[in-house]
Amino acid sequence: MIARRQVLATFAGIAVAGPLVACSSGSSSGSTDPNAPVKISIGDRPTPDNAAALKQYNDTVAAFMKANPNITIDTSETVWDPQTFQAQVAGGTLPTVLSVAFTEPALLMANRQLPDITDQLKSMGLLDQLNPAVLPTVSRDNRIYAVPIFVYTFALIYNRKLFTAAGLDPDKPPTTWDEVRAAAKAITQKTGKTGFGAMTTKNQGGWGFTNMVYGMGGRIESGDGKKSRLTDEPVVKTLQLLKDMRWTDNSLGSQFLYDANGVTQDFAAGKVGMMLHLPAVWSDLVKKFGMKAADVGVGQSPQAGTDLKGVLTGGNVRIISIKASSEQVNAALKWIAYNDFRPFSDKAVAVANVKATLANKDFVGIPGVTPLGEKQYDQYLEWIKPSVNVPAAGFTGYTDTVKKMPLIAEPPNKAQEAYKALDTVVQKVMTDQSVDPAALLSDAAKSLDSKLSR
Amino acid sequence: MSRSDVVKVLEVADRRHSSRRDGAVRRWFRSTEPAAIIFAVPVVLCFVYFSWGPIVRGLLLSFQRTNLVQAPQWVGLDNLSYVLSDPLLPKAALNTAWFALLALVIGFPVPIFLAVFMNEMRRTGWLYSALAYLPAVLPPVAAILLWKFFYDPGAGGIFNTLLGFVGLGPFPWLNSTAMAMPAIVLEATWAGAGATAIIYLAALGSVQTELYEAAEIDRAGIWRKVWHITIPQLRNIILVMMLLQLIGTFQLFAEPFLFTGGGPDNATLTIMLMIYQYAFVNGDFGAAAALSLILALFLCVLSGVYQLVTRRWSD
Repeated sequence: MIARRQVLATFAGIAVAGPLVACSSGSSSGSTDPNAPVKISIGDRPTPDNAAALKQYNDTVAAFMKANPNITIDTSETVWDPQTFQAQVAGGTLPTVLSVAFTEPALLMANRQLPDITDQLKSMGLLDQLNPAVLPTVSRDNRIYAVPIFVYTFALIYNRKLFTAAGLDPDKPPTTWDEVRAAAKAITQKTGKTGFGAMTTKNQGGWGFTNMVYGMGGRIESGDGKKSRLTDEPVVKTLQLLKDMRWTDNSLGSQFLYDANGVTQDFAAGKVGMMLHLPAVWSDLVKKFGMKAADVGVGQSPQAGTDLKGVLTGGNVRIISIKASSEQVNAALKWIAYNDFRPFSDKAVAVANVKATLANKDFVGIPGVTPLGEKQYDQYLEWIKPSVNVPAAGFTGYTDTVKKMPLIAEPPNKAQEAYKALDTVVQKVMTDQSVDPAALLSDAAKSLDSKLSR
Repeated sequence: MSRSDVVKVLEVADRRHSSRRDGAVRRWFRSTEPAAIIFAVPVVLCFVYFSWGPIVRGLLLSFQRTNLVQAPQWVGLDNLSYVLSDPLLPKAALNTAWFALLALVIGFPVPIFLAVFMNEMRRTGWLYSALAYLPAVLPPVAAILLWKFFYDPGAGGIFNTLLGFVGLGPFPWLNSTAMAMPAIVLEATWAGAGATAIIYLAALGSVQTELYEAAEIDRAGIWRKVWHITIPQLRNIILVMMLLQLIGTFQLFAEPFLFTGGGPDNATLTIMLMIYQYAFVNGDFGAAAALSLILALFLCVLSGVYQLVTRRWSD
């Protein structure tokens, strides 16, 4: 979906032996000896074409093993892939630690394919360090099953050049849906380009629509996940808005089968004025698709009005294999603390990391939400400030409100099924003028409810 | 014949039959080298394990609920009833049948005509066969992504630009519920025709040339020769290819997956795509196996019926 590897490269630690969190027994399966020899495997090793990142990764692993002589780490290039993941679970070849996108833990928790790591997190003192606002994504029934390491919220990505061409102020991106609609209309009328590009396929249509609904103050499912809430007024209003933009304003263009990657490509090519995406897409747009950095603007995810209703969170979490023993879970958490948390708590590591990122011609300073405590994150941002190489001006719309914006997790039950149903709803509104949004959502609600009860 | 006579005749027949069977086994055993059996066993075991094993596993899986970690639970016909009550199933089944029909009408005659055409071009035929086969050499994913550019719905899309020269369009192609499936059939025909034409071309080599000579003496034109000689001579291969194509079309996956993801509004959702979504999007392997089982049974029945119906023609 996004170049997770580039994003993560920012946070991969390097060889500095740092103080480690004391570890004691805490596994639900009984006491574990923290010094017993244990072997774990970790994925996400950078490929050889990414030399700087690979060196950094290897150095971090070597330093970690030096600091923890009882832990042996095997590395592999395995990355999260939904098509091979289940086979790896069944075959027992899944690495002990792997990074996956925020969209995945809900299903894995429901399938009981992740271990409960709540007690170990607590006893290792890691739980207190995590930002409570991002925990719902990795929790089920108040137990925690994965570690958030990188958090983003949806943002409005806009083309500053097209904004200027359409007579809009690129320094004042729209913050409400009314303003988005007006801006989209202006872009289409003045430039002939697609005003607003909406994702519609691969469940990403439902993913983006869910974020729109959150901004309107609605929800997709009830809090316990047993019932859909697709017939609520904010949801109907959101769909009606898309319909109006499509058929009244004609500002959604002619391509209605976009996935996240497709809309990103067309945005980079200057064919799309605005889209909803994660701020991390900035590095894809500039590095991969060659868009001018000065042309990319990042604003807050649009809301119903001036008060902030909320935004859907995205990012990465580290999961631990369900087949890991409690010793391996402990070792895995030690590794995660060393690799993913330390850059925020140790200035030397943070600065060295950032230098490696710059050497790899990647970007430093794309704003996000902290997976750890607010203070720690601000301190970290202060440390890396001299190395920031993304133009802060392009992000002001986003950074203005990011700390105040309520973070809302994915729908609690069968999120992918909900997204699939919403994909169809969004596609239908865009391809069939006669469709009634309320009736369409009522049908979708019935079909989703039958899935939620399975 | 009295009743006891009948019994006696049956007994004799039975004895003769069983002794013949015993004899056959003994003869087979005597005529087979033990070494051959020893060599064959690993191959057979591999085949059973890797080819039949997954089929049996899939069959069991369709009656289970599993997360591939804990021991699977038996759920009886739960998965089957869940799949059958999925409101998307009728839509997917109709779409799949619609694709099969379109592929039969649009796609099936193309390779036959291609083969006849290439066969007629005696000197440059190799060039045309190479050209026709070229799409089959292209990896399907690359071909589909290429066609995605062709089908760009904007006025600047390749097909829309070409049609624009004659004053047509722009067409929404994959973005319209009505046009998406025919657009996919067009690509699939382009991709598959060459490989199938090569098979027909090989079959054309076995058509007796005297028949053409006789027809030429009777002043038959090319169409009459094709219709009265070529097609009847190819009958058997046409029937087999048709069955293979039918089975293939019911397993359509890559095109809708890469072109449209099943959209717009599920207009290109196929059974295989549903199976994929059950398994890899929802992690529901029981439901995926159950739907696969239904598809497999359906294809078995279809093949059986097809054999029965076409037996008369192929004799």
